[in-house]
Amino acid sequence: MAEEFLVAKDLHKSFNERKAVNGVSFSIHKGEIFGFLGPNGAGKTTTIRMLSTVLEPDKGDVTIGGHSIKRDADAVRALIGVCPQDLALYEDLSALDNMVFFGRMAGLDGKEAREQAMKHLKMMGLEGRAKGKISKFSGGMKRRINLAIALVGSPKLLFLDEPTVGIDPQSRNNIYETIEGLRDKGMTILYTTHYMEEANRLCNRVAIIDGGKIIALDTPHNLKKQIGPPDKVTLEDVFLKMTGRSLRD
Amino acid sequence: MSRPFFVALREVRTYLQDKGDLAFSLLLPIILFALMYGAFGGGILFHGTANVVNEDEGGAYSTILLEQLEAIDSLDVELLSAEDAEAKLDNSSLLMVIYIPEDFSESLAAGEPTELVFRQRGNGGDEGQIVASIVRGVAEGMNQQFQVHNEVNSALAGFGIPQESISATVQQYLDQERAQPAVVVNEQTVGTSVDPVNMFLPGIVTMFVLFAITLSARAIVEERKKGTLERLLTTRLSVGQLFAGKFLANVSRGFVQTLILLVLAYIVFQMFTPLSFIQSLFIVLIFAAAASALGMVIAAIARSEDGATWIAVFFTMVMVMLGGTFFEVGEGSVFYTLSQFSINTYANNALNSVIAEGGSLANLGVELGILAGVAVVGLILSRILFKVMPGGK
Repeated sequence: MAEEFLVAKDLHKSFNERKAVNGVSFSIHKGEIFGFLGPNGAGKTTTIRMLSTVLEPDKGDVTIGGHSIKRDADAVRALIGVCPQDLALYEDLSALDNMVFFGRMAGLDGKEAREQAMKHLKMMGLEGRAKGKISKFSGGMKRRINLAIALVGSPKLLFLDEPTVGIDPQSRNNIYETIEGLRDKGMTILYTTHYMEEANRLCNRVAIIDGGKIIALDTPHNLKKQIGPPDKVTLEDVFLKMTGRSLRD
Repeated sequence: MSRPFFVALREVRTYLQDKGDLAFSLLLPIILFALMYGAFGGGILFHGTANVVNEDEGGAYSTILLEQLEAIDSLDVELLSAEDAEAKLDNSSLLMVIYIPEDFSESLAAGEPTELVFRQRGNGGDEGQIVASIVRGVAEGMNQQFQVHNEVNSALAGFGIPQESISATVQQYLDQERAQPAVVVNEQTVGTSVDPVNMFLPGIVTMFVLFAITLSARAIVEERKKGTLERLLTTRLSVGQLFAGKFLANVSRGFVQTLILLVLAYIVFQMFTPLSFIQSLFIVLIFAAAASALGMVIAAIARSEDGATWIAVFFTMVMVMLGGTFFEVGEGSVFYTLSQFSINTYANNALNSVIAEGGSLANLGVELGILAGVAVVGLILSRILFKVMPGGK
């Protein structure tokens, strides 16, 4: 049986009486890519913010690598890398300076931070733009830097919150290949997306969340099998069947 | 433990890479200093304008009065029509106008009293009051001349001497007396009119450092806006370290800007000793820490850049007004009691003591203690507020 690297138990979080997350429990195995899908406002980002120690749950707990986010948040932060949905970069600094800075925040010394920064810039095909200011980068380049920063400090668990939103197919493909490469090296990844073909291509297992609760959790193949022949049914069909077709805010 | 230092370093790098911001913040002290030098650096004497409505145009004595006023170096005479003068008084473009009445010369020639009229808004303003004083002096001189003429004419009335001859002789003696007066006023200039360091430099320095409040206040909101705040909170950087880093960056920035101002004051005005200069820098450093910590308190509660800026500007203005930057706050008043809540008060007192009175840091324990206390309490309070505010951590 695969080792559980992340275990979330009965997570609850409310904002002004509105329950954003209402009893979410799941686990992520070491080395797997775990897809976290849901319509807008379903509770995905709130859950990720709790898992990444930004928000404290009202109830429940999460252990990552055996460390509780409530009791040992600093140890948890040493194990995780976060690529947020919105770009989180210092536009007035160069790509290299951004990466070295976040490397220092991850606890690396100057030499290590610089080495890792160059390694990940190369991985993203941006080594030639290391000294370019972020403000001069295209949207796709910014997305790749956003992901590269999450990798500095050699995290064991990566949170990728819609890392391919609004970019061209070339940059998206580069990100896919990077994520597949990371999976091959044994990285554990929690991946959220609205693109179902991404989840189908990349994820070992997928959880569908709606109304703050997980309504389905299985492999893409098994989820598709629930509503029809897996080779005829898409993950999007499953998603729409389970979450409905009504528009969300 | 070096993470706050790297946060501060990143802030400084951002600051150095923004050419516009850098030029503005380094030029600001230089421009401020140039203004100070222009205002206080030279021994500028009074020069004013007497605005006159002469309704006795062509009259012998009004002509003499105007000639005497025009002969005064520090005074220009501007003749106006009555309508023009009234309009300018109405719209406050003039605060004081001198009216020479229509019968001015005729009355004086007949030996009857007459008057000059000063029409003014309020007290006539500083310039108006000085001009009025000069005109009074000239009118007083004319009065004395008339008195002499009248007395001599009365005394010689029975001797059959023609009055024109008496008047000409009396005038000759009066002119001699004016050319070689019995009492000479000798003006000696012993320095600039106002000592800029004693009067204004401490206040300007403290006001300048207070800009650090605005910079600090925006520190967290800017990270939030960029999206980097949340990312930083998932790294091993603690919130306390983040606040410490921001605090360090803003203290450094405020201190460097003030350093430029003080170095210029040292070189150009030569009003520091090496010791008082170093002591002043120390006071500025502690004050910058207090100001930045108060800025961090605002940063902890502000949720938008505009909100942070406006709270900081309001706070800065209150501190400046209460802190004796623009005017001295007299003991015993309610204003004095309120001024004790402004950190500017303690910084101004300390700088005044070191710069103007030759005091030493050893005698400034209370002021420095309060400023250091505000820095420590401000930082702790900002951390607590950040935790308890909605969405805080």
